[in-house]
Amino acid sequence: MTHYIVRRLLLLPVVAFGATLLIFIFMQFLSPYQLVSTYVRSPEELRHADLDTLVKKYHLDAPFYERYFDWVGNILHGNLGWSATSNDWVAHSIAARFPATLELAIYAAIPMALGGIWLGTVAAVNHNRFWDHVTRIFAIIGWSLPTFVFGLVFLMVFYVWLGWFPPGRLSTWATQVVISPSFHAYTGMYSIDALLNGRLDVFFNALQHLVGPVITLSYLYWALLLRITRSSMLESLRQDYVRTARAKGLEESVVIKKHARRNALIPVATSVGLMFLGLLAGVIITETVFNYPGIGLLTYQAAAQLDYPMVLGICLLYAGLLVLVNLVVDIGYALIDPRVSLD
Amino acid sequence: MRMDRDRLRGGALWFFVAVVLSAVALWSVAAGAQVKNPDSIVYAMYGEPETLDPAFAYDTASGEAIYNIYDNLIAYDKGSTSDFVPMLATKVPSLKNGLISKDGRTYIFPIRRGVKFQNGATLTPLDVEYTFERAMLLDPAAGPTWMISEPLLGYATLTELAAHLMGVSPDKVDMKKLPAKVVREIYDRVTRAVEVKGDNVIFHLAKPYPPFLAILAHGASWSAIINKKWAIAQGAWDGLPSTWPKYHDPQPQADPLYAKAMGTGPFKLETWQRGSQYILTRFDGYWQGPAKIKTVYAKKVDEFSTRLMMLQTGDADIIMVDPPYLPQVEKLDGVRVTKSLPRLQNTTAFFNYNIDPKGNDYIGSGKLDGNGIPSDFFQDIHVRKAFNYLFDWDSYIKQVLLGQGAKPYGPVPQAMAYYVNKKAPTYSFNLEKAAEEFKQAFDGKLWQTGFKMTITYNTGNEARKTACEMLAANAAKVNPKFRIETMAVQWPVFLQKYKAGVLPLFIIGWLADYPDPYNFVQPYMASTGAYGSTQGDYFVQMARKDFDPLIDETINNVDPAVRRAAFFKLQELAYERAIDIFLVEPYGNHVERTWVKGWYFNPVRPGEDFYILSKGE
Repeated sequence: MTHYIVRRLLLLPVVAFGATLLIFIFMQFLSPYQLVSTYVRSPEELRHADLDTLVKKYHLDAPFYERYFDWVGNILHGNLGWSATSNDWVAHSIAARFPATLELAIYAAIPMALGGIWLGTVAAVNHNRFWDHVTRIFAIIGWSLPTFVFGLVFLMVFYVWLGWFPPGRLSTWATQVVISPSFHAYTGMYSIDALLNGRLDVFFNALQHLVGPVITLSYLYWALLLRITRSSMLESLRQDYVRTARAKGLEESVVIKKHARRNALIPVATSVGLMFLGLLAGVIITETVFNYPGIGLLTYQAAAQLDYPMVLGICLLYAGLLVLVNLVVDIGYALIDPRVSLD
Repeated sequence: MRMDRDRLRGGALWFFVAVVLSAVALWSVAAGAQVKNPDSIVYAMYGEPETLDPAFAYDTASGEAIYNIYDNLIAYDKGSTSDFVPMLATKVPSLKNGLISKDGRTYIFPIRRGVKFQNGATLTPLDVEYTFERAMLLDPAAGPTWMISEPLLGYATLTELAAHLMGVSPDKVDMKKLPAKVVREIYDRVTRAVEVKGDNVIFHLAKPYPPFLAILAHGASWSAIINKKWAIAQGAWDGLPSTWPKYHDPQPQADPLYAKAMGTGPFKLETWQRGSQYILTRFDGYWQGPAKIKTVYAKKVDEFSTRLMMLQTGDADIIMVDPPYLPQVEKLDGVRVTKSLPRLQNTTAFFNYNIDPKGNDYIGSGKLDGNGIPSDFFQDIHVRKAFNYLFDWDSYIKQVLLGQGAKPYGPVPQAMAYYVNKKAPTYSFNLEKAAEEFKQAFDGKLWQTGFKMTITYNTGNEARKTACEMLAANAAKVNPKFRIETMAVQWPVFLQKYKAGVLPLFIIGWLADYPDPYNFVQPYMASTGAYGSTQGDYFVQMARKDFDPLIDETINNVDPAVRRAAFFKLQELAYERAIDIFLVEPYGNHVERTWVKGWYFNPVRPGEDFYILSKGE
């Protein structure tokens, strides 16, 4: 197992190098006057901009390999560069924004995985009966309702009408607590930091702000996971070993939970891993609607403005996450299915 | 019977739930009516500052933060754009009080005593001197310091000054490898331009410069006064003659004041969480007395619906609203909307007089054969006039901007009324006149052959999209052989095409740096103007011959009557030559909860002035 983990971790630099090189190669198809859009962001800003001076100042006319090796050189000195879209160092921007997204993803992943697997199991066990139809409708709504609409409706009901779950990360009073010198930001995840600082009021405030984006995100992924679990369960339920278990006289709940579901979870585990990555990367709309300043929005803005230092920084982060999540999924296989060996 | 009982139970449960929810909702609405966060202002905006360094900042969001943290030497008198009051100076220089010399080249500012910076330091004239000298020497590319350098040094950038001293063209100058003699000469010129004598700071101008006071006034973030000792301690220019090239035109990350701020203004920077919000707290030692508001939360909320809901619940006190969304906020209870605010801004469709035909997809065949346009298409004055007659201002302003804009008279916005001739003619939507002009274009050939071209707008700008579509539809109405296609292009592509000179027509807006009409005629009509210079050699030649002498008259003359005559003449020429299509002067608006008190409008102010605000029923 240890060998396997080390082997996989050694892949990380290769994946990172490949991904960033690919981005740089794509970038050579862009002219310096397209790349300068990072620094001149709208037609209105053209009034001040001498484009030639800016191209020269930021070395945008240098060959792509020169810029790539400069960038790699800086990385080796621990510097990911400066982002013109966030007006900040890339590493600092990511460090400031990623914990927010990670916090959101963690809170969303738990109900997503548990709820999706449970509902999928219920649907499969009640195949073509009432609960199967109910979950199917639930899934169809989840898939067909745009996140944007769901988020806005959620805010209208639970924020404007009921005043329960506001957008943002914290209320103004809690923000004052968090930025005060006595509050230590250990992780950047407010709910966890609040607990570590012994501030239950801030913890509940952070949770209150997480409910909206978490439900919005979870619902979409629930729907997907439910369908995957259902299909996989149906497949398992038709297997001989399930029939044998039933023939042995085992209780139905034991047959379902221990024999059928455990085997059905292998494809589900893969999906959960990928979905978790998706939660970390693709929550732009949810972050926008709930004004939740995470990394999804940052990625989108950086890509739209051709802010390549930021795009590359985020790419490195995701390369690392991809390797790690795949590793966790592989370990999960071994735990679910004793036939799978990692050595 | 049992089923009925169950139904009744179920009905009662739902009724109970509905009652509870309604009660909670009513409670929420009632709670929303009370003043929330009574000693704070929550301001939901889109965008955020790029930097907090006064010498670097050139965007409105940065200017807004700097406005509330720093003070300037003088300020505008409430809503005026031409009357000043003292701020960190004790008097506003004028010819009458003798603080402006008769030749208009020396300005004396007596500096106020006893003013404290937010770190407890006392303001001195040396801080003022350092502020302007550092700004000129920092000289960031695409930054604001040209406004200080041009009047004081006679050159907009140090590169131009160095080129002059070295006798070469600016593109041959490497600012990082200047000869020691040039480094010293530039330093001497900069330090001679701003001097301290006793309690006075004296500016020596290279030539009379009528907008100079406006360039210094509060709202002009580049003239915000910084503390010399603090700035040097942060790593800014150390004040020595030989070291300034090291600090010249830095990349943002190399500017030590890029994300730091400390001034004499009413609010201190508490924190700036980039991409999220900045928080300002009251500076109790403010020389004009502490602000009524204790804390300002300026939150970046990009999605309008979210901003709207924050306003509705009272979680936001002030929000930014684009004109198409105004009807949604106007019907809210407890919300005050002030609209139709004249701004120092306009939006214009620029003609390209020398379209680069190389690999150009926007001009079809590149010939006058019905399948394209030649590169000199807009050199024909009849074409330009016809295009002006094609634009339907009334419909555009009423239907697209929902009345939130005014039809321009020329390059100078009507907010500077004294310099705008409202009796002069303007183009109006008239398809018959458009047809007449088109029939005369290219000696009648254009009407016979027709043309085909593509006009572009940057993706996401709906108002500009509609403007392009109106031109296209109206051209086809005049003559079915006139085919204009409209195309959305991503901003990086737009920028590249603009630079390459391949766009036949492009729409861009201009927002005033300071309230003087020179700031509009120069970029629009001068041969060296920010836009004029990009409209092709034909335009540049025309401008050099006919516009530049008049523009020089407006900047080299301090007599308002003489300047006015020159601005009127330029307006007349812009009309006669139909140099561009002046589309609209968009109005501004201000949306706040009714519990916010004290706001008033000044078109020069970059955003909100939190010092004037308070909260209460």
